[in-house]
Amino acid sequence: MKKWFVLLFSVAMLSLVLVACGNKEDDKESSSKSKDGEDVVEINFFHRWPNEPRKSFYDEKVKEFEAAHPNVKINVDSVLNDSYKEKIRVLVSNDALPDVFTSWSDSFAENLVSSGRIMDLNNIIAEDKEWSGNVLESQYGGFTFDGVTYGVPFTVDGKAFFYNKQIFEENNVAIPQTYDEFIKALDTLQKAGYETPLVEGLTNTWAISHYLGTIFQRVVDPTVLEKDYVATTGEFTDAGYVKGLEMWKQLTSYMGDVSTAIDHEAARNMFIAGEVPVLYMQFAEVKMVLDGAKFDFGFFNFPEVAGGKGDQKALTGAPEGWMLSKNASPEAVEFLKFLTSAETAQEFTKTDGQLNAIKGGITAENSNPTSLEAYDIILNASATAPWFDNAVDISVADVFMRGGQDIATGVKTPEEVLEDVQQAAKKLH
Amino acid sequence: MSIKRIKIVPILLLLPSLLFLGIFVYIPLFQNFYNSFFNFSVFSQTKEFVGLTHFKELFDDKVVVIALINNIKYAVISVVCQVFFALVLAAILEDRLLRKFAPALRVIYFMPVMISISVIALLFSFIYNPQMGLLNSFLELVGLEQFAKPWLGNAGTAIYAVIAMSQWQSIGFITMLFIVAIQKIPHELYEAAEIDGAGKIRKFFSITIPQVKETMFVNVLITVTGSILVFNEPYILTNGGPGVSSMALAVHMYQLGFLKDNMGYASAVATLIFLLSAIFAIVQIRVSGTGKDD
Repeated sequence: MKKWFVLLFSVAMLSLVLVACGNKEDDKESSSKSKDGEDVVEINFFHRWPNEPRKSFYDEKVKEFEAAHPNVKINVDSVLNDSYKEKIRVLVSNDALPDVFTSWSDSFAENLVSSGRIMDLNNIIAEDKEWSGNVLESQYGGFTFDGVTYGVPFTVDGKAFFYNKQIFEENNVAIPQTYDEFIKALDTLQKAGYETPLVEGLTNTWAISHYLGTIFQRVVDPTVLEKDYVATTGEFTDAGYVKGLEMWKQLTSYMGDVSTAIDHEAARNMFIAGEVPVLYMQFAEVKMVLDGAKFDFGFFNFPEVAGGKGDQKALTGAPEGWMLSKNASPEAVEFLKFLTSAETAQEFTKTDGQLNAIKGGITAENSNPTSLEAYDIILNASATAPWFDNAVDISVADVFMRGGQDIATGVKTPEEVLEDVQQAAKKLH
Repeated sequence: MSIKRIKIVPILLLLPSLLFLGIFVYIPLFQNFYNSFFNFSVFSQTKEFVGLTHFKELFDDKVVVIALINNIKYAVISVVCQVFFALVLAAILEDRLLRKFAPALRVIYFMPVMISISVIALLFSFIYNPQMGLLNSFLELVGLEQFAKPWLGNAGTAIYAVIAMSQWQSIGFITMLFIVAIQKIPHELYEAAEIDGAGKIRKFFSITIPQVKETMFVNVLITVTGSILVFNEPYILTNGGPGVSSMALAVHMYQLGFLKDNMGYASAVATLIFLLSAIFAIVQIRVSGTGKDD
C-alpha cells in the first residue's frame, strides 16, 4: 500500500510540473476563445517614452481610441531610448513582438525588417490615400527597403547647435560659419569665464554618435561614406576619419571632466540654467528648452569644415515612425492610422513640441516661432544625413561611440580608436 | 521486492526536480555550448557553422581581456571586503558587549540585501554624481576636494566605484551567514579559553576562525562565482563605460548578443564565463575539502 501511495504521489507531483509548464499555452487558447466570445481585440502597443510629456500624451490617445472602439483593449508598454533599442531587438526575435511599436529609420529599421516579422505596408498605404497622403513623402525613404515600405514616419528631427543669444552678445561672439570660427568662439567664451563653453552628456553614447555622424558627413568624401556605411564593404581606412576623430578630441577638450559622467539630460539642464552657452541638440528638444530657459536662444547648423569633402550645408537628422507586426489585427492598423492622423499630429505639436511629418501638423497656432524656424530648416535642408548609430552596423557604431568616450577621457588616441573600428568592420565582411 | 522499492521510489521523487533542472539549466547549458560553434543573429534564425572561430576570436578580443581583469578585481576586492570584513563584523555583532543592540544592528546591516539592485544603482549614481553627488560634497566638506572626481566618468575609477557599491550591498548577507555559523560554536570552547586567560582577539583567531572554516569556504565560493557572473551593477551604473573601462564579462556577452546581434560569439563568451566559474568552484571545493571534516 505504502509503495502505491508513494508512486501515486510522485506521479501527481510530475503531472503538476507538466501542467505548470503547459499552463501558458492553455491560457493563451482560453483567452483567445473568450476574445472571440466577447469580441475583444487586444493590441500590444510599445513605445519609448516613459517620460513626460509624451507618456501622458500616448496614454491619453490610447484612452481616446479605446473609447471610440469599445471592442479594443490596448496594452501599453514603454522603456527609454537605449533600453528600447535592446528590448525591441529581443522582442523581434520571437513572436512576442508587439502589434504597434516605434522605430527609427534606416539601418535600425532595416535590421528589424530583416527578421521577417514586420508588416508590409504598401497595400495599406495605397488603399487609404486620404490618410497616407497626409504624410510628407520625403520622409518615407528611411522606412522603405527594396520598394516595400515598412513604417509610417511620424516625428522629424534635425540636430543643430543651440546657443544662448544673451551670452553670445555679451561676449561679442558672432554665429560661427566655419569650424575654425567655432573653435575661436569657444576659446573666447572660455576666456570669458565659461569653464566648459560646450558640454555633452557622454554617458549617452548616442549623443557621441550624433557628433561623429555629422563630423564624418562634413569631412569624408560621400562616396567613401556610402561604401563604408554598408556592413559588407565597410573599411574605415580613409584619412578623413582620423581628422574627424581629431576634431572630436578638440571639441571634448572644451567639455571638462564632468561630461563623461553625466547624461544628455543633465547637459541640457546646464544649458537651460545658463551655465553652458552652446549645446548640440535635436529640434525635438526645442520645447523643453523653451519651457525652462529664461533667455533667448537660437540655433546654427554644424559649421562648415575647411577642406571637408561632404555637403557642408547638410542637416543630420532622421524621422522616427511606427511599425506593425506581421500578425497585427486590422484594429491595430486602424490604431496606426489614428496615431498618424492630422488631428493627433496637431495635438502632438501642442503638447510635445517635436516637429512631425504630418502635413498641417505644424501651424503658427499650435507651435511657436522658434519651432517653425526649425521646421523650415528641416524642410529646406540641402541634404539629410541619418543618425550615425542607425546608419552603420551597430558593432561598428558601438566601437566608435565607446572610442569617443575613450578619446574624451584621454585613454585612447584617435588612431587607436580607428584601428579598433577597422577590426570590427572587417569582422562583418 | 525491498531492493526494488528502494531503487524506484527515490528516483521517482527526484524526477520533478531533475526535470526542472534539465529543462532550465542543463539543456540551455549544452545548447549554449552548441550555439558557440555557429554564426547567427536574433533577426534570422539560419545558423552557419563556423567551428572554433569564435573561440579563436576570444583570444584576440581586447574587451574580453579588460573584462576579465575587471572581474578578477571584483573577485579579489569582494573576497577581502566581504569575507574578511564580514567575519570581523559578525564576530563583533556576536560579542557579549553588543548583545542588546545586536538584533537591531543585524537588521541594519542586512537591509541593503533586501533592496532591489536597480534601486541601489540609481541611489549610487546620485552619490557619485559629479555635480551634486554626496561623495564629492562630503570630500569638499572635510577639505579633501582635491580627491573629488567624476567617479563613474573616469576610466581609472569607474570599475572601483561599481565594486564599492557591490560591497556595500552584499556585506550584510555574508555577515548573516557568519553570524549563524558563530552561533553554532559551542560555548564551552570560549569558556575553556577564558579560563586559560585568552583575550577577545586570541579567541577570535583560535576559536572563531577555525570553527567557521566551512562557512568561510562557502562564502568565498559565493563571492568569487558571484564576481565572475556580475552583470547588474556595471550594466546599470556605467554600461561598461566610459569606453570599455568598467566592462564585465557578462555585460560584454549581453551586448554582443542583444546589441550587436552576434549570438554565436556571445555564446562563446558565455561558455568562457561558465568554464571560469566552474574551474573556480572545483578548485575551491578541492582546496577546502568541504565535507571531509564530518
